[in-house]
Amino acid sequence: MFDIKVDHVSKRYIIRNNSRSRSIGWPEFAFFGKRPTEIWALNDVSFEAERGESLGIVGNNGAGKSTLLKLLARISAPTNGEIRIRGRLSALVEVGSGFHPDLTGRENIFLNGSMLGMTRSEIGRKVESIVEFAGVSEYIDVPVKRYSAGMYVRLGFSIAAHLDPDILLLDEVLAVGDIVFQAKCLNVISQLRESGRTIVLISHDLGAIQRLCDRAILLHHGKVVTTGTPANVIEHYQHMAMGNQDAYRLDSDSHESTAWCSRISFASAVPGENPRTGYPMIARFGFCTKAHLENVVFTILVYWPSGYLCAQLTTAVSDPHLRIAPGSGEVEFYCPVLEIQPGWYRVDVAIESNGRDIDRQQRCAVLHVRPGKMVFGDFFMDAEWRIHSCS
Amino acid sequence: MEPNHPSKSTESDLPTAPGEKSLLEESKVSQERKDRLLDSRLVARESVTVIRPPSFSLGAILSGVKTLVGYRDLLYTLTLFRLVIRYKQSVLGWIWAILQPLLTMMVYTFVFSRVANIKSEGMPYTLFVFSGLLPWLFFSSAVSNAISGLVGYSHLLTKLHFPREIIPLSYVLASLVDFGIACIILSGLMVCYRVPISWKILDALPVIVILVGFTSAIALFLSSIQVRIRDIAVVLPVLLQVGVFVTPVVYSINAVPARFHHLYLLNPIASLIENFRRVVLLGVGPDISMLVSSGAITLCCLFLAYGFFKATEATMADVI
Repeated sequence: MFDIKVDHVSKRYIIRNNSRSRSIGWPEFAFFGKRPTEIWALNDVSFEAERGESLGIVGNNGAGKSTLLKLLARISAPTNGEIRIRGRLSALVEVGSGFHPDLTGRENIFLNGSMLGMTRSEIGRKVESIVEFAGVSEYIDVPVKRYSAGMYVRLGFSIAAHLDPDILLLDEVLAVGDIVFQAKCLNVISQLRESGRTIVLISHDLGAIQRLCDRAILLHHGKVVTTGTPANVIEHYQHMAMGNQDAYRLDSDSHESTAWCSRISFASAVPGENPRTGYPMIARFGFCTKAHLENVVFTILVYWPSGYLCAQLTTAVSDPHLRIAPGSGEVEFYCPVLEIQPGWYRVDVAIESNGRDIDRQQRCAVLHVRPGKMVFGDFFMDAEWRIHSCS
Repeated sequence: MEPNHPSKSTESDLPTAPGEKSLLEESKVSQERKDRLLDSRLVARESVTVIRPPSFSLGAILSGVKTLVGYRDLLYTLTLFRLVIRYKQSVLGWIWAILQPLLTMMVYTFVFSRVANIKSEGMPYTLFVFSGLLPWLFFSSAVSNAISGLVGYSHLLTKLHFPREIIPLSYVLASLVDFGIACIILSGLMVCYRVPISWKILDALPVIVILVGFTSAIALFLSSIQVRIRDIAVVLPVLLQVGVFVTPVVYSINAVPARFHHLYLLNPIASLIENFRRVVLLGVGPDISMLVSSGAITLCCLFLAYGFFKATEATMADVI
C-alpha cells in the first residue's frame, strides 16, 4: 500500500527576465518588457513511498528537491502529472516560519498550529506538552519578537513535532539549531519512524539520510537518476558530485619544482580490486626528485566530495627526518584496516621539505572505497570480542 | 547470560557480498515496524488526496469549500489575531474602532450637509450618512486590507499549505467585527436622535449576509490578481474613492434619475446600502426586488471569484 504516489510529475517555472537592454527613452511597462524563460524544475518524475517507509531525497542544489517537496506539501501545484497522498501529511519546510512577531508564544502556538491543520481543541490539549518540549515555559506569554533565535526554532519544531501526521516531510530541518536541539530532532524523527509514519527527508546531510532512511532517490536536473538503498544512492550521488573523473589527474609533467609526485594509486590487498572498508588497503605514492632533500614529508589527504578533510596518510608522524636522494622512488602506505566508510573521495598529495611545500597537487586522484565490513556509522572500528559467562 | 545475538559478531573475513546480512536485518526491523503500524493505524484516516495541475472546475470549488470548512479554526484564529495585532502598540487601542467611523461621519456630515447641502429624505443627515457609511466602510476596508494580505503573508505562502482564501477572508471577517462595533454606535446615535428602534431591524440580517458575500467575492478576486499584478493595490484607492459617489452613501437613491435606477442598482453595493438604510432608519422591511437581484448577482460573483481563486491558488507560491 502506498502513502505517496508521484506519477509522471513535471513542474515548469516561468522566469521573467528583469534585465532590459534599453533603459533610456520611453518608460517601458514592466509587465510587457520582460521576456519569459521556461525552467523545468521537475521533469517526468515518478516514484512511490510505501506506508511506514522513510524515503531520503538527495541531489545537488537545483536538482528539484525543494520543488518536489513543495508539490508534495501542496504549497505549489504540478504542471503535469498527478500526486496521490494517503492520510494526513505535514511538511516541515522551515520551522517557526508561521510566527507573528507581535503575538505571544501561546498565541503563536494556536496560530501556527491551526495553519498546520490542527483544530483549536487539539492545540488546547497539546499546548502544555508543546511548551514543555520547547523549554520556553517561562516566556510563553511574551511576544515572540523578544525570543532568542534558538527559542524561536525550538518552539516551531515543538509545534510541528506534536502534529501527529501520517506522513512527515522534512527539508533540511536538521541543519538549524544547536547540537542538543539537533539530537532532540533526530530523536523525534526516529520515534515517528518507529511508530510507522511515512517520512520523506530531504537533506544534504548524507549521514542522516543513511541513518534515517530505508530507501533513497537521487534527483539530478529534475529527473530521478537512481533509486535504491541509501548506501547505493549516496555512492552514486558522491560519484556524480565528483564531476568528470578525467579532471582528477596528476600533473606529473611540470618539472619546475625539485621534486614532484609522479604517481598515486590505491589498491586492496587482493590485486586488481578497489579498497574495501574494514579490509587492508595499500596506497602507493610515486615521486621524482632532482636534488638531495632533507626532512621530507609525504602526505596523502583524503576529502569527502563536500570538501571536508576526512583522513590523511603521512610519513611525518613516524619519521619527520626523512632524506631522499635524486631519482625516482615510491612510498608505500599499508593500512591494515581501512576505517573510512564506502564512497568516493577526492585526494590531494603533498611533498614537503623542511616545512615548505615542494609539491602540492589538489584534486589529483579519486579514491573509491567499496562496501566492506561496515554496517552503520561514520567509521569502522575494528574490534575483537568475547563473551564472559556470568553464571 | 546467554549470547543471544550471535549474528552481531564480527563478520567473516570473506570479502564477498558483505552487505547481505545487514540488509536482511534491516528488512526484519522494517517488517516489525509495519506490523506495529497495521495494528495501530490501519483504521485511521484513509482519505486519499489527489494533487493535479490547477484548473477552474466545479469539483475544485466543492472540494475547496469542504477543505475550508475543515480549516474553520484557522479562519477564526487568524481573524482573532488580525483584531489583536491591529491595535497593538497604539495608545488609543480599541477606541480607534469607534473613532474611525465617527470621524469619517463628521467630515462627511460637514462637507455634504453644511457645504454641499444634500437632501436626506427628512432624516437627520448625521444618521442618514452614517447608516450609508457603515456598509460602505465595511466593504472598502475589507477589500483594501484583503488585497495586500496575501502579498504580506508571502513568507507563509511559500512555506506552508493551507487554504489561501483564509487570508483575505480573515480580513473580511475582521472588518465585519468593526462593522458590528459601528452598528452599536449607530444605534446609540439613533437613540440620541429619538429614532425608534424596533424588532424590524433584524430584517437587516439578510442584507448584511449578502453584503459579506459580495465583499468576499471582490476580496478573493482582487487579491488573487494582486499576487500576480501588483497594480491592483495602486488602482484600488482611486476606484474606492469613485465608489463612494456611485453608491448612495452621501446622497439618497432618489437623487438619481429614475431611468438610470436599473443600471444603478446592478451594483449590489448600491442596492445593499439603500436596503440597509431603509431597514435601519425607516423601520420597514427590505425592498425585496433589490434584495433578490443583489443576492443573485452576489451568488454569481462569489461562485466565479472562488473558482478563479481556487484555480490560481495553487501557483501563488511560484509567482509571489
